[in-house]
Formats: sequence, C-alpha cells, structure tokens
Amino acid sequence: MAAIPKEKPSRIDEARAQFARYKADVKARGKPFYPYAMFHDTIMSLVVVCVIIGLAAMWKWSAWGPGHDPTHKGLLGPEVDPPADPGTTSFVPRPDWYFYFLFYLLRIFKWPESVFLGTIGVPTIALILLIGLPFLDRRRERRLSARPVAMVAAVLTVLSMAVLTWKGATANEALASEVIADVPHWVQVENLPSNALPGAKLFATAGCTACHTYAGAGGSNLGAPDLTDIGTRNLGIDFQIRHLQCPSCVNPGSPMPHFASLGNERLHQLAVFLEASKGAH
Amino acid sequence: MATTYRRTPTKAELRRQRMEELVNYPLDWLEERSGLVGGVRYFLFRNVPSDVNWMQTLGSAALTAFLVQAITGVILAMYYTPSASTDPATGKPVAWESIVNITDHVTMGWLVRGMHKWGASVFIILMFLHMGRVFLFGAYKYPRELNWIVGVLILVMGMMEGFTGYLLPWDQTAYWASVVGINLNGTAPFLGPWLAQFLRGGQEIGGETLTRFYSLHMLVIPAAIIGLITLHLYLVIRLGVTSPPWSKEAAGMEPEEEEPVTARPGLTRPVPRTAGGTAMQAEPGGRD
Repeated sequence: MAAIPKEKPSRIDEARAQFARYKADVKARGKPFYPYAMFHDTIMSLVVVCVIIGLAAMWKWSAWGPGHDPTHKGLLGPEVDPPADPGTTSFVPRPDWYFYFLFYLLRIFKWPESVFLGTIGVPTIALILLIGLPFLDRRRERRLSARPVAMVAAVLTVLSMAVLTWKGATANEALASEVIADVPHWVQVENLPSNALPGAKLFATAGCTACHTYAGAGGSNLGAPDLTDIGTRNLGIDFQIRHLQCPSCVNPGSPMPHFASLGNERLHQLAVFLEASKGAH
Repeated sequence: MATTYRRTPTKAELRRQRMEELVNYPLDWLEERSGLVGGVRYFLFRNVPSDVNWMQTLGSAALTAFLVQAITGVILAMYYTPSASTDPATGKPVAWESIVNITDHVTMGWLVRGMHKWGASVFIILMFLHMGRVFLFGAYKYPRELNWIVGVLILVMGMMEGFTGYLLPWDQTAYWASVVGINLNGTAPFLGPWLAQFLRGGQEIGGETLTRFYSLHMLVIPAAIIGLITLHLYLVIRLGVTSPPWSKEAAGMEPEEEEPVTARPGLTRPVPRTAGGTAMQAEPGGRD
C-alpha cells in the first residue's frame, strides 16, 4: 500500500473501489451459485408453482356451482361473468386488483378539471421517481438504519398504495335499486324544483349511477364525471337530450352508452333534472 | 479430459476412457462451435456472496411465475378465439364461448386457464416483493442502476399484460374495466386521445379492440418482457448479487469496519470468513 492520498476520493472513485472489493470478496469467499443458491431458488419456485395450482384449484372447486353455471360466484370469483354487453347500464365494473389504487385516485380528483392528475399525473410522477431512484439516492450506504429518508419514503409508499388498493377494493358501489331511496335527499340538498322530480327518479333507476356519482351516491369507477352540479354549466336542455341520445356524437370518444331508447319524453325529464342540478347546498 | 496413465492402461481403463470421450463428445462438439457449455458452466459455478438470503429467491420466483404464464398462455392460445362477433347458434359472443369451452370442456382446461388467471396476480405480487427486497438491500446503487430501471420496465410491462389480458374473456367485467382503462389513457394530454383511439381501434370498444388487445397481449408485450428479462439476467450475472446490508461479512464491506481477528481472543468473536464451511474456507489468505 502506497502512502494514503491526502485529498478525499470522489464519490464515483469510492463506489468503484467498493465494487472492486465486492468482486474480490465474492471470488475469494463466496459460494458457487450451483448448488447452494440454486437449491433455494428451486424450492421457492416449486412453492410458487404449487401456490398457483392451489389458487386455480380453489377457484374451480368453489366456483363450479350447482347446475354448472359458469357465472356462479365462488371463493375466488366466478369462472366468467356474463358476456360483454355494451348496452347494459347497471353493471358495476371491477379492474384487476393491482389497478384498484389507480381507480381510487379517480375518486379523489374531481372531474373534469383535475381528473387528469389522478389518471396520468400522479402515476407518471410515481413512475419517474421509481425509475429515477438510483439517481436520487446516490450514496453508497446500504444499511437500513443509515437510510432514514429512504425507509420513511418506503413505508409511506407501501402504506398509501395499501390504503388506496383497500379503498378501491371496498368502494361502495350503490345498486340502481338502492339509489331511488336517495331521491328525497337530492331534492332537499339540491333544492330541486318539482318538475325535476320525474327526471331524478329516472336518473336513479336507469343505471346512471353505475358510472356517475350524484350528491355522494353512485360509483365513479368508470371515470365518468360527477353530476352533482352539472346544471351550473348551463349546457341547455337541447344539448342534454342530444348528448343522452348519442354521447359520442356530441363528445367524440365518449364511451357512454346511447340512451335514445328511453324515448323523447323521458329524455326531456332527465335533461330537466340535470339542468336543475346546481350543486349540493 | 482424458486421464493420463504412466503405465500401459489395462483393457478396462481403455474402455472407460473411450466411454468418457463418447459421453463428452456432444458437449465438446457444442462447446467448440458455440462456447455455450462454458457459458452455462460460468452461470452455474460463478460465486455468489456466502451470506445470500431467502429474500433473494424472489427474483427467480418471479421468473418462474412468468414461465408459468408463458406456457399456460401458449396452451390457451391454441383454444381461444379472439372474436367479438355473435355466435348465431347461441347468441353469445364467440370469444366468451371459447373461454367457457376451455374452462368446462377442454381436458384440464380449467387448470390451464386457472393457472394463467391466478399466475398473473402471483407474478405481479412477486415482482413487487422482489422490488421491495432490492430497495431494502440498497441493491439499486452503483453499479446496478441500469438493472433497477430494467426491472421497473418489466413491472410496467407486466401490468400492461394484466390490462390487455383482462379484456380477452369478453365478459362484462372485462368489457367495462377496459372502457375505464382506455378512458384513463384518453385523459392524458397530447397523446392521450390518440392512444385511446389506437387501443380501441375505432370510436367504440368492439371486435377491433379485442383482436388488438390479443395481439398486444400475446405477441408484442411478451416479446418485450422476454427481451427485458434476458437483459436483466445478463446484468445480474455480470454485476453479481449483493449481500444483505446487515450482514457482518457482507462482500465489499469497508476494510476498516472489519474486526481484527488476531489479538484478544476473549473479547473478539473469531468470525469465520465463510458461513456453511465451503471449500473456500481452506484458503485463509484468500483475499487478494
């Protein structure tokens, strides 16, 4: 060893020296991957395959119900849901569980001004931070006790993801039949005129609340806007009717189903109700 | 590697030597022309730190889950029909019917589809756990930054597999969840509406969306994942596996943190340099 250099070596030099030390250490006193590490890997892989087979078996034996109905719900859900039907309005959608957090973010941000924060903004920032982690944390230190910031960040990330996933999983999706009970409450908080009442009842029963929220009722999993104060936008009765008849004609790309089949009279009632909805007071 | 004899070999020894050459011939042939045998030998017999931990099996566990997805996916593709058109005989969508057929009628079809369906969640969970382990160990630091990024990309691709695969049964959940998912993409500035349009294959989700998702799910994204996993493994082998940060004998530890093993036998615990007593222990001056 030559004389110790006086100036402090740069961070990258230290990192390189440490990696060279690591290589030498592993070469001198490591153990061969086969059979030592590979033995553990093999056991773990067998466990993984067994767990997957176990889940598949549990799914089958609990879901295959009486009369062999493929839509019978078991412990782990049905074999398959009813066939896709773009015309239905009462189906409550569920994403894969690992997207629950994303869906719950939608409920936090208000449509349409800030919803893009929930759909794109927050996830993009999270992804950039995740990819950039090695460049944000450039210290060589690896011990947990000496990385308080990293540990707090990790705990907060895991907690917030867990809470969002949990909230997304247990989000209360009201069924159309239950929403009708909320109509008197709407009349009260929204101060609805009496000519808006038929439209309110129609709104509650026609399945609108499967995708839209209104005065705290309904579900927003489809990412559809909250309609509590849609009337403040003063879109007009005519626009509302045209939009209900063919949403994507008025609003290109809109995934909302067509409601032309309700008939002109009921569409008019709905439009009156929507225009009268000036927000909860 | 033929044995050398000082005396004239007996007939039995000659026979044995010929047998060895015969057995080794295919391997030698392959090695001479590709170097693959040496590569595999390097992969298997490269050293890893002596203190590697059970948590470090999560990566290979995730790889196993991916292989399960690949194998079951290939089998499913043999029976699945990605068509949203209605079967005139039953009035049900063809894709939905082929899923019911796989699960109810194809021999062991329920197992293959069940493993694919649940294996997807297991794959995602294992990737998250593996990422958590790498974070805890600080294993993303120099010189492994690139491999962290590759790993994040694999995770993103895995979630995209989940998103595209979810639509394929063409049931209500699939349909409406994809409506939402595509809507979310549509809210992105600039590229969003274009991306939503591309995924839908038109103004509405329909047969074009289904075939598009099918192609992405079984060709494009898996190819990307396989490429990324190959790069990931290459970097793991090239850069090595880290010791747990709390290990007393972590590879690459600062020399001044090492306890002197020489004096004061009553106070210092003579730490054996290798746990498990492998052959390496026979070389006391092993560190160069």
